[in-house]
Amino acid sequence: MTAVEYGRDALDFIEGLNGQTGVPEAMNALERAFCRFGFETIIVTGLPNPDQKFSQMVLAKRWPAEWFKLYTENNFDRVDPVVRHCRNSIHPFEWSEAPYDEERERGAAEVMRRATDFRMVRGFIVPIHGLTGYEAAVSLGGVDLDLNARSKPALHLMAMYSFDRIRRLLDPTPHLPLRLTQREREVVAWASQGKSAWEIGEILHITQRTAEQHLANAARKLGAVNRTHTVAIAIRNKIINP
Amino acid sequence: MIHVISASNRHLYEDILEQHFRIRHDIFVDERRWETLRKPDKREIDGYDNEDTIYLLALEGRRVVGGHRLYPTAKPTMMSEIFPHLADVRGFPSNPLIWEWSRYFVVRDRRDGNLNLQLMAAVQEFCLSEGIVQISAIMETWWLPRFHEAGFVVAPLGLPALVEDAWTMAALIDISQDTLRGIRERTGLRSVLQQTGPRLDAVARANRYHAQKATLRKIA
Repeated sequence: MTAVEYGRDALDFIEGLNGQTGVPEAMNALERAFCRFGFETIIVTGLPNPDQKFSQMVLAKRWPAEWFKLYTENNFDRVDPVVRHCRNSIHPFEWSEAPYDEERERGAAEVMRRATDFRMVRGFIVPIHGLTGYEAAVSLGGVDLDLNARSKPALHLMAMYSFDRIRRLLDPTPHLPLRLTQREREVVAWASQGKSAWEIGEILHITQRTAEQHLANAARKLGAVNRTHTVAIAIRNKIINP
Repeated sequence: MIHVISASNRHLYEDILEQHFRIRHDIFVDERRWETLRKPDKREIDGYDNEDTIYLLALEGRRVVGGHRLYPTAKPTMMSEIFPHLADVRGFPSNPLIWEWSRYFVVRDRRDGNLNLQLMAAVQEFCLSEGIVQISAIMETWWLPRFHEAGFVVAPLGLPALVEDAWTMAALIDISQDTLRGIRERTGLRSVLQQTGPRLDAVARANRYHAQKATLRKIA
């Protein structure tokens, strides 16, 4: 394929992603698209902090179940040289470009070796760096790959848009800090004390309707389905103190 | 606040613009190593800094802490003149309602995320108020997820390519009330823009260039 053909296919794929309405369909579309480059495995994942578990960070994956079990049980993410390099790189790279010392870093060597048992011989990873330190990646693996100077820019862009689509499908409310107005926080705080909209209105010297409006706005911002859910999310995000 | 500075009110901001050209040299040449922009007088000024450029600069007192600029695509732009190959799949825009967004920067000690969101809100707010419907940009590809995170709708015009050792792409970004609302809800900010002195009617000006071009085509 020529560079322009790669480009056209990639942009068509990206435009098509918006039509995907669920994670399984979107992952099928990713699988079909990346399969054409020879990729057999896909993972879309956040990178864990020291106090987070890798398995909780995964947004979506097409990995052999056995390998995922092995990887999580052995905490391979702690020693995986690809994960380490991903945190320090803003550019995509081939797995083989992630440096490690084969003699001294036995764990790193083991991850790379055992992955090959699951047809993850070669791979390409696209790091994602968010605005407030959020780290993530899309990592693709396989054996016989169409991975070259012309295909890499296409994969780069396809992976970034894939990440965004999967993220939005999983979490319609973005993961930036949630901000309620002072009034909305007050109203939610009183609701958490079991007060009704009428009672909240009396306490804050506003009408019942206004109190209900504030609660509705807070619910919408937090992506909550009802009043109890609003209070639960507000407490969990430390927007109000229980 | 983010100040809007154009040919109409630049007499109120000469010191600020001067400071900003020097900061651009510090950031784009000394820090990011875009050697082609290096200037002996340490002021980074190019062919798209002229009477049509609109600067949105974040000021703390009289100190410039961040900013970016807009330039009409009705005229030749950086994308059409220097990087057309980055837009070779979908083509580069040339339209009075589309402006090129460039030289986005934040000074080192303010790169904490919040000023970034304000600068992103500023471009949306300004373009909404002027009737600009999209902005085109040459951007480093690793910024794409950051724009996504801020709720920007970004359509690529071609594939990324290496520019001065950094993966760089051409894109068209939608100006939308939804994007602005999203950033405002998340930051708790309302308006981030400050307009002092006479204002420039951006789209009217771009329309004139567009009309001139059409006339020239007819004559030719």
